[in-house]
Amino acid sequence: MWSKTRIAAGLVACGLVTGIGHAGAQGLTIKGEPKIALILFAAKNDGGWSQTFEEARATMEGALNTKIPLVENIPEDASSITPPVERFIQRGSNVIIGTAFGYSDTFKKLSEKYPQVAFLNGAGITNGANLESFYGRTYESQYLCGMAAGAVSKTGKLGFVAANPLGLVNWTINAYLLGARQMNPNATVTAVFTGAWNDPVKERAAAEALIDKGIDVIGQHVDTPTPQIVAQERGVYGTGHHRDMREFAPKATLCSSVWVWDKFLVPEVKKIAAGNWVPAPYGAFPGIKDGGTDIACCGPAVPKDAADKVMAARDAIIAGRHVYAGPLTDREGKTRVAAGAVLGDADLWKMDWFVPGVITQ
Amino acid sequence: MIDFVASWLAATLAYAVPYALAALGLIICERAGVLSLTAEGFMLVGALAGVGAVLALRAPPLAALAVGMAAAALVAVLFALLVVVLRLNQVVAGLAMVFFCQGLTSLVGTAFGWTSKAIGGLTRLPLGPLADLPLLGRALFNQDILVYLTLPIFAAIAWLLTRSMTGLRLRAVGESPEAADAAGVNVTAYRFVAVLAGSALIGLAGAYISVGSAKIWIQDMTSGRGWIAIALVIFARWRPWRALAGAILFGCIESLVPRVAAAGIQAPRYVMLMLPYVVTLGVMVWMAVARTGRPGDEPAALGQPHVREERR
Repeated sequence: MWSKTRIAAGLVACGLVTGIGHAGAQGLTIKGEPKIALILFAAKNDGGWSQTFEEARATMEGALNTKIPLVENIPEDASSITPPVERFIQRGSNVIIGTAFGYSDTFKKLSEKYPQVAFLNGAGITNGANLESFYGRTYESQYLCGMAAGAVSKTGKLGFVAANPLGLVNWTINAYLLGARQMNPNATVTAVFTGAWNDPVKERAAAEALIDKGIDVIGQHVDTPTPQIVAQERGVYGTGHHRDMREFAPKATLCSSVWVWDKFLVPEVKKIAAGNWVPAPYGAFPGIKDGGTDIACCGPAVPKDAADKVMAARDAIIAGRHVYAGPLTDREGKTRVAAGAVLGDADLWKMDWFVPGVITQ
Repeated sequence: MIDFVASWLAATLAYAVPYALAALGLIICERAGVLSLTAEGFMLVGALAGVGAVLALRAPPLAALAVGMAAAALVAVLFALLVVVLRLNQVVAGLAMVFFCQGLTSLVGTAFGWTSKAIGGLTRLPLGPLADLPLLGRALFNQDILVYLTLPIFAAIAWLLTRSMTGLRLRAVGESPEAADAAGVNVTAYRFVAVLAGSALIGLAGAYISVGSAKIWIQDMTSGRGWIAIALVIFARWRPWRALAGAILFGCIESLVPRVAAAGIQAPRYVMLMLPYVVTLGVMVWMAVARTGRPGDEPAALGQPHVREERR
């Protein structure tokens, strides 16, 4: 289920790149004050992706001084998505926020049926005159997590438990190594792909296999906190994804790549409220500067000076430093980013190469 | 190399246990003639109930496993009513139970907030100096309690099925319910109890996944292991010891795949992930070919509802 979201999110790629849909020449002006409704893919207390939207909802209610109703556990098919969305619209909602890749097509259809309603969809791939998909630049937050990992690791051998080698997963692994090498130039990252987004047994097997190989910090891009829990059990460290995983492994978790959707959605809804809203033609792709992604740093095991360096790097990224700035070569020695250049969004979404120091199967 | 093999073997049995117990539970049901496709669902019920017992009742891990068994048996009462008492089509009822359990566990897990909550779970119990033996020490004598208990559980059930009067009657019910009925065996009662007992073991397998292995509850966390257990029963030809051997084979593969990746060995990733399923197919084909011309081991009345006095 999750998995679909993600695999999908990978295809956000394609959507963003090829620009399914197009922005209308004229912006959207909704009728009256924005009335937001939230469509959650999983349970609002799922401990991961959906919960980050629930947490953003609370902040948004305060910041926008409005009530935001929600529905949970809406699967990725039109017959499940359409009725709650239409009910919200009939009750006067004019900003609908979805949270799954699998909502893309249905949201596209609904946005055409209801041209006066603004549609936003997290991890979606469709865009239009009144529809905008969005996803975060997680390579920025994972780069910073990699820095924390590189600083704490004694062996210089880092591990990474990942789901599937999609662009949006590969960019977190490469960024993790680039971050780690800022703190330890000899660091390596061994990545294990579980082939599933949501299988705690496979994630445990992967984490244990990595620890048995002498790895002492484990990063992750899967949907459960299992790798952090295993790290804590085995007395090593880890870095989390989705939410601050100190909740699950307070001693082990050094840093987490987290979603901060309120930071992106509050200004976006304000733009919609101001009228003449034009969705980004290829979807919104915010980094730490514009919300979406950020870090929860640092756990107690990260030394003060290392934590300061991580936060300084965060400031630099906000100021405009690109993680994938050239020169960068892949493991085969092929130049991927020329000196002085940065990697474009289209190339990010289709990233299928690894930087030297990343060990994969 | 030795380190690689030692760490691989050390992880194997823990991954084999859920397959082994679920397959054993299915064998009990199916030897009594009830085709049970419910494993995936009942494993989820056991997994959720186990975690729920730890979170809500602060149950120690062993008690949580027992709660998982009891919960699966409780839900299995519904399945037994459908297929044994009301004699519904066992395939349809079994599949329906899987979807029902998936929905039920998502609902309960969400409502009580048990999703993604880390729990203590089972811990390893090294058996003194035995655990320090080279190579096999960690693999056999440094495991959690359920790994040690799996062998006696198998021995008890295998004895019960093949050596005891109860087992003889149970198998008679699965082979020829009419004959068993004529001999004075209460077919309905035997099937009902077999479904509950088998489902309790399937629930134990699920509870082990959440309480023993993952130490967390996530929606749909069994990820198809129940279906593999069903295939395992077929290729074990409904024999407990063969099912155990098959489960260990699967445990080997499941613990090998991430280890090969962690070692950075260049092996085609998707082929590795496919391995368990390829092995399932391969063994089934081999069994089918090797046994051509011999009578099947499948219980003769498997999947057939028994209606007393009805001619077939």
